[in-house]
Amino acid sequence: MSSSVDAGTKQSRTRQSRRSSGQGPDMRRVLHRETHSSRAAVAVVAAVLVIVLAAYGLLEAAVHAIGQPAWLIEPQVAAQRLVELPAGISPLLLAAIGGVVAMAGLVFLLNGILPGRRARHLLPGAGLTAASPAVVVDDEVIASSLARRAQLAANVTPEQVMVVVSQRQVLVNVRPTSGVPVDEGTVLAAIEDELGQMALEPAPSARINVTASGVVGA
Amino acid sequence: MNSTPSLLNRILLTLLGLVLLAAGLLLVLLATAPAVANWWQSWSPGVWAGINQAFNATRFPGRGESWLWILVALALLLLIGLMVAWIAQQGKGRDNLLAAEYDPGEVPGDVRVGGGVAEQALKHALAGRPDLAGASVTTYSVKGSPALKVRLLPRQGVAPHLLAAEVSGLLSALEAVVGRETPVLIHIAAGARTRFGRAERVR
Repeated sequence: MSSSVDAGTKQSRTRQSRRSSGQGPDMRRVLHRETHSSRAAVAVVAAVLVIVLAAYGLLEAAVHAIGQPAWLIEPQVAAQRLVELPAGISPLLLAAIGGVVAMAGLVFLLNGILPGRRARHLLPGAGLTAASPAVVVDDEVIASSLARRAQLAANVTPEQVMVVVSQRQVLVNVRPTSGVPVDEGTVLAAIEDELGQMALEPAPSARINVTASGVVGA
Repeated sequence: MNSTPSLLNRILLTLLGLVLLAAGLLLVLLATAPAVANWWQSWSPGVWAGINQAFNATRFPGRGESWLWILVALALLLLIGLMVAWIAQQGKGRDNLLAAEYDPGEVPGDVRVGGGVAEQALKHALAGRPDLAGASVTTYSVKGSPALKVRLLPRQGVAPHLLAAEVSGLLSALEAVVGRETPVLIHIAAGARTRFGRAERVR
C-alpha cells in the first residue's frame, strides 16, 4: 500500500472515530470483523474436544473417588504406562498417535495465529461517511460479475471464461472459439473499466490469459 | 457484526494448539529418538512419585481413597462449564430493537421501533427483484447501539456496485421513515443458491 493511501485511510479513521464517539458503532471495526474470520466454528470444535476429554476424566475421577472399579482404565495404571512410555507400545503406533495429535495441534495453532482473512473485498465510497452504508462483497460475486463482462467483451459463451479473484489479483482465463481470435487488449480494457467502477479495497490488478488452444463448436 | 469474541477465540485456539502440538511432538520423539526416551525415563518417574505422594498424603481418614480425586473432578467440572460458556459466546449479538428514544411529545413515554420494521420493509422491497436469489435483513446490537445487516444473494453476473447503490437508495428511504440514522452493513454474498441457480440474463 502506498503512503498516500495510508494517509487517506488514517484521515478517514480519525473522522470516523470522532463521529462514532457520539453514537453508533465504529464502522471501521465492523468492516474489519466482516472481512476477517471470527474462528467461531474452529472454536466450537476445540471446545467440544476439551469437553469430551474433560468429561471422560471427570467420569474416571468420580468413579475413583467413590471407590468403584474404573470404566476404561484405572488412572494410576494409565499414568504408570505414560511414565514407562517408549516401552510397552510399538514405536510405530506411538509415532502415529503423536503425529495425529501434533497435526491437530498445528491446525488449531495456525487457526489462532494466521490473519484469517476472508475472501471478501470492501466497496468503499460507502461506509466512511455517516450517511451511506458499508458494503462488503464476496470475491465470488466479483468474479462472476467480471466473468460476465469479459464474456461480453470477448464475444464467447459463459463456459469459455473463468475468473479467479484473490486479495490483490484478478486472473481472467479466456478460451477463444476455434478460428475466432480474442483480442486480449479489449478484454483487459473491459475488466479494468469494471474494476474501476467497483473501486474495490484492496484494489486488485487484472491479468488476462488467453489460452493457445481454442474450443471447437462453441 | 455479531459479538463473537474473536480475540478470545484466537488466544484459546493458540493455547490449545501449542499444548497439542507439544504433546504430539513429544510422543513422536519418544518413539524415534532414544536420547529423548532416556531423558523421559529419568525425568518422569520423579514427577509421578511426587504426585503419588500427594495422593497418599490426602487419604480420607479410615478409607483408601484420596479426597484429591474430588478436587480433580471439581476442576474438570469447572473446565467443562467454562468451555460451554465459551461456545455460548459464539455468534451472539442479535437484537430486535431498531430505535428507542424518549418522546418529547404530549403523551409521556418512550418510542421504540422494533427491528422487525426494517426487516419486513426491506424484505418486501427486495422480494420482487429478478437479480436477487435471496435476501435477509437482521438487526444486531453492536456495542450497545443498533445496526442493520443486509445480506444479499445476487444471481451470477450481477454487478455488485450497482446493486449496492440501488439498495442504498432503499435504505435511505427506510431511514427517512424511521427518522433515525442506523448504521447499515450490506453484505453481497455468494451461496449454494447463487452458485447453482440460473444466471440473470437481462438487465
